[in-house]
Amino acid sequence: METKVNRSLAEINEKIRRGDAVVVTAEEMVDIVREKGEVKAAQEIDIVTTGTFGAMCSSGAWLNFGHSDPPIKMQRVWLNDVEAYTGVAAVDAYIGATQLSEKDGFEYGGGHVIEDLVNGKEIHVRATAYGTDCYPRKEIDINVTKHDINQAVLCNPRNAYQRYVAATNSRNDTIYTYMGILLPDYGNVTCSGSGSLSPLHNDPNYETIGIGTRIFLGGTQGYIFWEGTQHAPTKAMGNIMTIGNLKNMDTRYLRGATMQKYGTTLYLGLGIPIPILNERVAKTTGISDDDIKTNLTDYGIPRRDRPILKEVSYAELKYGKIDINGRDVPVSSLSSLKRARGVANELKRWIEEGKFFLSQNVQRLPTDQVFKPMKQLAAVPFARDVMTRNVITAGPDDSIVYAARLFADKGFDHLPIVDESSKLVGIVTSWDLAVAIGTGKEKLSDVQTKKVVTAREDEPVDAVARRLEKYKISGLPVVDSKGELKGILTSDDITRLLGKVRR
Amino acid sequence: MIKKILLKYRAQKAKEPIISSVIKESGLMLNILYAQFSLDGGEILISVDAPTPEVNKLIESFKRRGVEVTEITKAIQLHHEICFDCGACVSLCPTAALHVEHDKSIDLDEEKCIYCELCVPSCPVRALKLSKF
Ligand code: SF4
Ligand code: SF4
Repeated sequence: METKVNRSLAEINEKIRRGDAVVVTAEEMVDIVREKGEVKAAQEIDIVTTGTFGAMCSSGAWLNFGHSDPPIKMQRVWLNDVEAYTGVAAVDAYIGATQLSEKDGFEYGGGHVIEDLVNGKEIHVRATAYGTDCYPRKEIDINVTKHDINQAVLCNPRNAYQRYVAATNSRNDTIYTYMGILLPDYGNVTCSGSGSLSPLHNDPNYETIGIGTRIFLGGTQGYIFWEGTQHAPTKAMGNIMTIGNLKNMDTRYLRGATMQKYGTTLYLGLGIPIPILNERVAKTTGISDDDIKTNLTDYGIPRRDRPILKEVSYAELKYGKIDINGRDVPVSSLSSLKRARGVANELKRWIEEGKFFLSQNVQRLPTDQVFKPMKQLAAVPFARDVMTRNVITAGPDDSIVYAARLFADKGFDHLPIVDESSKLVGIVTSWDLAVAIGTGKEKLSDVQTKKVVTAREDEPVDAVARRLEKYKISGLPVVDSKGELKGILTSDDITRLLGKVRR
Repeated sequence: MIKKILLKYRAQKAKEPIISSVIKESGLMLNILYAQFSLDGGEILISVDAPTPEVNKLIESFKRRGVEVTEITKAIQLHHEICFDCGACVSLCPTAALHVEHDKSIDLDEEKCIYCELCVPSCPVRALKLSKF
């Protein structure tokens, strides 16, 4: 399509060299395009800088330790007790951000090792090997800093998602996820991403961003070297593979972190400069928080396709409150908007000071790729396929004596309590009865547990097994979406099923 | 020194003007940070800025009126040199003590904190620390 403004990358770089390139951040560009229109904006602005600062689990670093004397072919290696991958040549290893410390678990992981390396701290390296004729050594135990090793290269298979879904939790217990701590009964919402500053959302057609694009990565210059794994541009879920020299990075823009009871990760600052080649690009960089929508998703349901509650905009998310069923629910961002602005401003300063030039990409990124789910052989069984359907129940007004007789006659130990419309209202176990006897209580409603851990009919058995383990219980009632009791599922049922499948 | 004190009393006491009579007796300025009432009774968190002997006298006069008194011996601190202003903690805070400032930095309003500690594990870089004294 013909465009009115046509600017080449060479012209832009020449302006940077002369010190008169006009650079604005993507946040500033929103108003410029709104007020002046994209053509005028394209005439006036040369470059728009973007930025994001958030948890990027799919990050890690290639390290080369140099050869010892006698040499070793590292078979396994640990950095501060965090294992790195060594299935490559002798002294190369990849330390991944989410690998946990064998000593400190969730509190220290690959992300923290990477931060410590950047900070110039000493890292304890322990390696073992089987020994060969050319690499006879079997053990290494040394301390190194980034200055002692050859390469330390941050090399990330998936960074800077265009946008992220927002998360909430319908269940009646707190859950710990990669989207942070989610309180019960839609108690909070968490989100991530920098909205109008989002690097890929400012060039969603990949007109300027491609393989070889020079970017801001962790406080230094890095590059895009491929599309990211799970790149899904048609769903506005594009992402990139990035690479940069870890030794030059800065912990203002790179931090090891822990998501409570989920794992470790790396927070990373990343920014892409968008050259305003024409008004088409100017228009996409004018995107505002109101224009960027994402799905508010129920993480209470641990399925690949989690239910979507509604569509929300980044403007609503940044405002800090989202309406769910008529209630104002507080929102937490997991990524830092303040640091994302810091990235966009720092990149802007580099360009203005003539320290950063734009690169011509060598190949465009795919714009039509879709993200396929995992190929699975057997259909996953659901709670409804495994549960016992004919469940003996009692009402809240029934007597304890009646329940005791049921337990004795039938030999089970969970008695669901239901109301007239067969809605589950509580549960009584043989233990509750033992405690109740002698306290003078008469009705089941006096001894029942009201907060019942339940499963839904359409939940995969794996998810139910995880809940049994989490609460250290041996069985739970299965309900439908209206809370009506449909069956009961015990750990014995699950063991029996898994035995059948895995034989 | 600012001290925080948690007062607990049973429902029957709710009708008595305990706080005002204690203020009158002690002559100290009390700041009510948080109050909650239920069928079982009430809970009030106050702060007072006074030398220790006077605070001790204040505690005595509450006790004489049948109020259960607990001196708060902990504090939540937001270490700004560690914090990167993500906001993960904000939605877990029941009193909005943790909040987003105009420039998108995150801050803690100590006055509003009720020491529930919910925020502590939510911080990815452990910038929220509980200290006991
Ligand atoms: S301890 Fe509770 S009230 Fe205080 S800041 Fe943390 S979450 Fe808020
Ligand atoms: S969660 Fe931690 S890093 Fe994030 S804003 Fe709160 S204190 Fe700061």
